Amino acid sequence: MSDEAKLKQQEYWRSLEARAADGKVIDPVPDSAGFGHDGDNSWSRRNFLTLMGASLAMAGLASCRRPKERIVPYVQAPEEIVPGNPRQYATAMPLGNHSYGVLVTSHEGRPTKIEGNPLHPTSLGAANVYMQASILDLYDPDRSDSVMQGSNKKSWADFVTFWKTLEADYVANKGEGLAILAEPFAAPTLYWLKQDFLKRFPNATWVTWEPAGDENAVAGMKIAYGKPLRPVYHFDNAGVVLSLDSDFLMSEPDNITSAQGFAKWRRLATESDEMNRLYAVESAHTVTGSMADHRLRIKPSEVGPLAMALAVELKKQGLELKGIDAAPGDQKYAKWIGAVARDLMANRGRCIIVAGQHQAPEVHALVASLNHALGAYLKTFSLRTLENTTLSDSGSLAKLTEKMKAGDVDTLVMLGGNPVFTSPDDLGFAAALKKVNNRIHLSLHRDETSRQCDWHVPMAHFLEAWSDAQAGESQYSVIQPLIEPLHGGKSAVELLNLLASGEEKSGYELVRETWRKLIPNGFDKRWRKTLHDGIYNLNKGFSGTAAVRRDVWDNIKKQELFRRSSDDLELVFTPSHSVYDGRYANNGWLQELPDPVTKLTWDNAALISPATAKEYSLTNGDIVELKLNGRGLEIPVWIVPGQADRTVVLPFGYGRTHAGRVGDEVGINTYVLRTTDAMWFATGLQMARTGRRRDDMANTQDHSSMEGRPIVREATLEEYRKHPEFAKEMVEHPPLVALWDDHDYSKGYQWGMAIDLNACTGCNACVVACQSENNIPVVGREQVHKGREMHWLRIDRYFNGKPEEAGMVYQPVACQHCENAPCEQVCPVAATVHDKEGLNTMVYNRCIGTRYCANNCPYKVRRFNFFNFTRDLPETVRMAQNPDVTVRSRGVMEKCTFCLQRINRTRRDAKLAGREIRDGEVITACQQTCPTRAIVFGNVNDPNSEVSKIKKRNRNYDLLAELNVKPRTSFMAKIRNPNPELEES
Amino acid sequence: MSSDINKSVTMEPPLIEGNPTFESVTQDVSKIVERKPPKAWYPAFAVSATAALTGFILVGYLIWEGTGIWGLNNPVGWGWAIVNFVFWVGIGHAGTLISAILFLLRQRWRTSINRFAEAMTIFAVICALMFPSIHVGRIWVIHWTLPIPNQMAVWPNFRSPLLWDTFAVGTYFLCSFLFWYVGLIPDLATLRERATSKIKKLFYGIFSLGWRGGNRQWRHYEVAYLVLAGISTPLVLSVHSIVSTDFATSVLPGWHTTIFPPYFVAGAIFSGFAMVMTLSVIARKLYHLEHIITMKHLERMNIIMLLTGSMVGYAYSTEFFIAWYSGNEYETFAFINRAFGPYAWAYWIMISCNVITPQLFWFRKLRTNIPVMFVASILINIGMWFERFVIVMTLHRDFLPSSWDYYSPTIFDIGIFVGSFGLFFTLFLLFLRYLPMVAMSEVKGVLPQAAVHHDSSHAPSPGGSQ
Repeated sequence: MSDEAKLKQQEYWRSLEARAADGKVIDPVPDSAGFGHDGDNSWSRRNFLTLMGASLAMAGLASCRRPKERIVPYVQAPEEIVPGNPRQYATAMPLGNHSYGVLVTSHEGRPTKIEGNPLHPTSLGAANVYMQASILDLYDPDRSDSVMQGSNKKSWADFVTFWKTLEADYVANKGEGLAILAEPFAAPTLYWLKQDFLKRFPNATWVTWEPAGDENAVAGMKIAYGKPLRPVYHFDNAGVVLSLDSDFLMSEPDNITSAQGFAKWRRLATESDEMNRLYAVESAHTVTGSMADHRLRIKPSEVGPLAMALAVELKKQGLELKGIDAAPGDQKYAKWIGAVARDLMANRGRCIIVAGQHQAPEVHALVASLNHALGAYLKTFSLRTLENTTLSDSGSLAKLTEKMKAGDVDTLVMLGGNPVFTSPDDLGFAAALKKVNNRIHLSLHRDETSRQCDWHVPMAHFLEAWSDAQAGESQYSVIQPLIEPLHGGKSAVELLNLLASGEEKSGYELVRETWRKLIPNGFDKRWRKTLHDGIYNLNKGFSGTAAVRRDVWDNIKKQELFRRSSDDLELVFTPSHSVYDGRYANNGWLQELPDPVTKLTWDNAALISPATAKEYSLTNGDIVELKLNGRGLEIPVWIVPGQADRTVVLPFGYGRTHAGRVGDEVGINTYVLRTTDAMWFATGLQMARTGRRRDDMANTQDHSSMEGRPIVREATLEEYRKHPEFAKEMVEHPPLVALWDDHDYSKGYQWGMAIDLNACTGCNACVVACQSENNIPVVGREQVHKGREMHWLRIDRYFNGKPEEAGMVYQPVACQHCENAPCEQVCPVAATVHDKEGLNTMVYNRCIGTRYCANNCPYKVRRFNFFNFTRDLPETVRMAQNPDVTVRSRGVMEKCTFCLQRINRTRRDAKLAGREIRDGEVITACQQTCPTRAIVFGNVNDPNSEVSKIKKRNRNYDLLAELNVKPRTSFMAKIRNPNPELEES
Repeated sequence: MSSDINKSVTMEPPLIEGNPTFESVTQDVSKIVERKPPKAWYPAFAVSATAALTGFILVGYLIWEGTGIWGLNNPVGWGWAIVNFVFWVGIGHAGTLISAILFLLRQRWRTSINRFAEAMTIFAVICALMFPSIHVGRIWVIHWTLPIPNQMAVWPNFRSPLLWDTFAVGTYFLCSFLFWYVGLIPDLATLRERATSKIKKLFYGIFSLGWRGGNRQWRHYEVAYLVLAGISTPLVLSVHSIVSTDFATSVLPGWHTTIFPPYFVAGAIFSGFAMVMTLSVIARKLYHLEHIITMKHLERMNIIMLLTGSMVGYAYSTEFFIAWYSGNEYETFAFINRAFGPYAWAYWIMISCNVITPQLFWFRKLRTNIPVMFVASILINIGMWFERFVIVMTLHRDFLPSSWDYYSPTIFDIGIFVGSFGLFFTLFLLFLRYLPMVAMSEVKGVLPQAAVHHDSSHAPSPGGSQ
């Protein structure tokens, strides 16, 4: 069906609009519905945590909250809303000046799940953890529900009146004393409103800032090219990749597309396929490092010198690099650098060097010029302009703070963000804020910043308000709301419009006004198509060849950072893999999401290497005092094998004081060590034991060694080519004979799954997808600490090699749906049984909770409801639940169902259409979201299905096959592609 | 004179010392029930009843709140509840063994301790049955484990060892109880006859089922007792064999072994005798029954403990040998982990208590020394509890190291276990108070007077008589 044809089907939305006009359906939810008012603390955190998982009760109420503007549903739209038939809408999630295209599943007007939008170039159907978990933020019961003046509840109209009193003066003095502190964005409407605002108030100050942006990368491009550009890496074309402290598979803004491109080289069909090679240089141990074929762990201060030494070496090997001295660089890693350089030289035009966003601008500039010299430009590396984009700038934040301190700022409007909590400690932002007369904060929560302001305006979640987003000069998205603001929030667009024009207008009108300018011709049709597709692509990719400035080398060489520093203890800041910069602190799914490297939940820790731990006599949980330039904090340590020695990695975003019932006082606030001159790295750190320790750190994996067992099977490419069947040959066992006749699995659909360990990066996206899809409860730190996390899908992380130089491998493990399932045999009441399609099903109603099945599961994937984790769930959180999945109560076992509800929905649709289920039609939640397409699901009885073909690959093996349990999930062995030159003898 | 003859006939010293008469036996045993209990009884009962009551309250909280109040976690789905279950079932073995198997083997020395041991068995099985019931997540539907016809037309899963358990332990309880009760009938009648108050008369009257001691009644009684002994005998072997299949039929390393049934039975007898020993040493002292429960009885029990303890020790070493010999890395690891892993302390407690302690009984001096055997019996009980703990905790490290975890009990695990001891001793103290703790009729049967030989022609060959 063509897109036009799809659009035609969707005229019915007009009738919905008409329906909305009767006024009845869009009333805001009354206060009595208990949507977490500020004063309503009747839910203790424990209740909330233990119960944050599922319910259907709010479905009816939620259904009256359809937005009144016209939004266009995505694909497979039924003729009218059929209760029980969810629909998907395309929108986009902004994060800093990036945005990710998403599809939001809506059950009767209630958004329940976020997936990637296959049509959107930033996600191509996949989604990362933040995108998926943001649905829970929408329903956060601690979101602010009222405009506040100090501690008094006010209305939006009160705020408008207040602004009017200020406005006249500012119009007169052209905005003298007026300042805006906004989060960065790349959004036409906001950008144009900003221009309007600055036109109206030319003397006003506009500062953009966020704690975890990529301003360094852009600044680096400015050094290299003379203008702000954003580097874009095309891993799908790169046979050799060198990462300089770049966690491009998980933490960098383009992580989804990078992972997709990278994995194309890793899903080997046969031993003769070509595989890329990744060299990773990093201080922290990251998921990117885990995928590396060669990983060099060095202190952050060594990254710059190493990059320079590489440049020298490349020049020595004949690369044309004008302006660089061919003097030998540092010899410490000479062998490594020489081998990498030779590999890069041999792969000119199909290699890239990637610098991490936290590296200094000069490193980015150096890398850009090396990429150019290596012929990467427009092949594996390109540039994107920054249209309609504001960039985070620490310098201007510092200046603003100075002005505030000097009393030069009379009114400060903060559009989102939480600067009181996140701003560099040396600025003294909180103190400076007190000197501002009118402090206005737009925010989802009454957070640390809101509490220091005299006006707080509740912000609409991105799923509640109209906005737009832009990537480069060609990709535009409309952010369309899925639901009326639950708490009457206002979007940044609406607030900014009030400031810029003095008038009130709905976000819908504002965005459409912008887009009328963007789409001069055929607006209506294209607007609707954009809403439908989620992307308006002008296909005007950056085409002009950018040339590296001649003086770039002079600018780079002077920099001190290319000289090796002392042996000081060094510090690395990193946004948390769970709560990011702190904004997701009140999100239970993310708090409970195990960190991909430490597997810690509900906490951050100072990460150190085993050697450093030994040096300071520290073990996991020991509390240390860290001191940096007169600032100090106390934090427990956690040992990460493979991390650089004498380096402390500090994730930030924890230790919030006004995040809400979930996030308050979770972890340690590490922003207190962060200063403007040490935003990402610092030397001269001092660490001392306090003698105290924390024993309640909740990690989901105690044991990190495979104990030599053939669990994650791994070989080098060379070994694989010599022994293509190595994965199966790793385990020898006698012939497997069953005691009784096997079931007949030769007929009908037989569901199975294949997971490619060579593609899996361990990014956790599938874990959140599963949690969201299957109403998996959040249980809280105490329960995780006891080993009772409920995730149906876990990602096992093993370290291999020597503890110091350890590598990491990942293995997602969910129920393997054994054909000869040990769990089924031992259940006394037959509560877990096989169905004829080979699914190991769990009958919650029949379960009496003996836990024998879990004991007898060799994979330990069964999860028990030790308490009633769902009983006292706040009503808003109940709205986030998937109505197609049973909510489990206390005392029953649960586990992965292979997304049975998705199979049944597809089966029903196929039956109605009078056909068989097609291959690829049933997509499990984990499979759907996997950025590397490591998970494939389908009918193993159909020899032509993708999963059947993949299972025939020689890398395929069954985990614990020797137990004769006949798992339906199989794994593809991991292959590494080391450089022979660097291989140890 | 007659006792001398008897001595020569049986070729063994008298089982009951002090040359009692039928009357004195009745008197000695009945007076315990009829008079006020010794002073120590009251504090003992108060403590036991308090513990039991606390246990019940904790069970109530458990049912209200969920099994999460225990220390269970993802790899360790069974904790103290199952440890305690196997422990109590094991204790419950001695009773039936003494009453049934020794009866069939004509081991007449059993008569002094069998009542006692049977009562202990029943109370232990009551404690045992409590644990699997409360350990399930949803106790309100626990009847689904029984094959009761229902509107859902769903039967329990007959392949599950837990279901076999339900039958095995249920049957065992029923048979043991009947056996015990049938044995009590003549003695209850004795007490009825001696009763001084109406209430007692009514109580003992109802439960003695109209026993009058007639010849025909004795004949029926003897046959019934023999039949019940015959039924109970295989149960002694089957119950713990089936309990062991809870572990042995699983796929887990350390559990999936064929040695479990005999090894569990030996262990059960071992622990059962230890518990009988503990209790009888106290009871014979408190109630001055040294002449009925004699040193000979104690010594024989110690010999059985030496035997079964050595069998258990042999089983431990066989497990290790097979784990190594199988070449199965998971199995090998499971045993190395038992001895040297995080629960090594439990393993070595088990070895010291179960294997080393009974070796003391090789020495006659030690096995006839009351303090030694008392301490040893307690150590053995501790050791046998730890044996079950070690077995259940095998769960903590199985195939995939990613799911390995450590289990620690909570106050509720401990409280309910202590509560089960409270319940056990409460029931036991009530038994001592209200029922004859020694089978009077049977003891009389082994008195020399019972072997009535008027005629010296029955005398054995010359030389043995005088």
